[in-house]
Amino acid sequence: MPPRNALFDDDDPMEGPSFIRRAVNAVDDDDLRPPGNHNLGPGFGGDEEETQLQQLIRHWMNERHAPDILPMQEDVLGRLLDHIRRQSQTVQLLRGDPNSSEDEHFRIVLAQTEIERVKFIVRSYLRTRLFKIEKYARYIASNQEMQERLSQTELDHARAFAKLTESHYNISVLQSLPPHQQLLEDAAAFTPPMISEPDKSRAVFVHAREECPPVRLPGGAILQMKKDQIVLTPYSVVEQLLAMGSIELV
Amino acid sequence: MSSSTRQFGDLATQLLLESRRSTQTDTLIKYNDTLVRAVIREQRDLEKLIQVDMNGDHVNEAPTPALLLYQTAVLRNKRCLLAYHQHRIDFLRTLFWSSGASLPHILSPEFRSRLSPQEVDFLRTYNTTLLSYRSAFSAELDLTAPITHPPKDLHALVRVIKDCGVIQTESGAIDFRRGQRFMVRRADVEHLIVQGYLEEV
Repeated sequence: MPPRNALFDDDDPMEGPSFIRRAVNAVDDDDLRPPGNHNLGPGFGGDEEETQLQQLIRHWMNERHAPDILPMQEDVLGRLLDHIRRQSQTVQLLRGDPNSSEDEHFRIVLAQTEIERVKFIVRSYLRTRLFKIEKYARYIASNQEMQERLSQTELDHARAFAKLTESHYNISVLQSLPPHQQLLEDAAAFTPPMISEPDKSRAVFVHAREECPPVRLPGGAILQMKKDQIVLTPYSVVEQLLAMGSIELV
Repeated sequence: MSSSTRQFGDLATQLLLESRRSTQTDTLIKYNDTLVRAVIREQRDLEKLIQVDMNGDHVNEAPTPALLLYQTAVLRNKRCLLAYHQHRIDFLRTLFWSSGASLPHILSPEFRSRLSPQEVDFLRTYNTTLLSYRSAFSAELDLTAPITHPPKDLHALVRVIKDCGVIQTESGAIDFRRGQRFMVRRADVEHLIVQGYLEEV
């Protein structure tokens, strides 16, 4: 039997705000920002220490907005998954306990809902990555730098998927063509390459989480962002800042 | 060539039109085996023409304009063939995910008749590949649940559209029969909603 307050333990630095506190502060739509905050709120302004969940939310949004695949946040994800597992077990135990009061049952429902919502973000994060990984599978298979940003399972999937598409091309089309035409790559002039790469020149909205070092824009001008400034720039310009965590994509 | 007025590449254009039509209507059109074969035949004809041209008397001279024309047609046809197949796999993958990554559900006999045997194989292998990826997270969450709307409630009121037999839920086993309504935990039945067995009221 875990201690009664295991669900709502504020003291554990890993856990972040309690479910109760978050439920009280929660706005009733899908917006993940707590209300009543003039800058973009904790985790957006960078005033306070971010919780695990806020970190994942930030990485999730970055991942969804970036044209490129970002480094996998295995630490954050692993800890959150552990947390989900522990919370689920605690909920199961408390639910099965005949001595739980009415009030506690209400809290359990809140905790369960919160777990489902966290799971949603984790799922969306992984699926977003998976989508891009499949899209650029053949590029990843040939590029060491891309491979380093993936987890081992993701990398395995990328390789398997690249192999799968190639063999599908071969079986469906290439093997029926005359021998000279059977290669997948034709290095012909004026045709776009067969391997698609992330388009880093795509425009993204950038929110500065802190004072940023200057970056050079394609035209040669210098861009220096102040804290909380929001700009629209090509992804390639802010790629380094994003890796440093100075900015987030919105 | 023959007396027909067909140009090189016309057939491949038809293939692309099919892909475009499929995108615009958001349906998967039946795999056009005849057309694919016809384009491949054209490729072989072109290859023969190229061979004839190369074996001519002008070995040491610059390539003839005809040769360039044939070569361009060959490359274009090939690209069109690949694009047609790629478009179809992309469509199938989207469909696969939106049906909750359930292979039996999308390989219904009616739908299967629109696929080429290679495409069925592709889906099977894709499913297997994905299973090994999903198993890394299976202890905590189901990766295939929908990601369009974040959950707001723990429970959902559902109406049964199709019989789906006995399903284990949090509050015990429930036998879902057509027409009945249940208040159940959303996470327990999400895949049934996606596959059209249940409908949220």
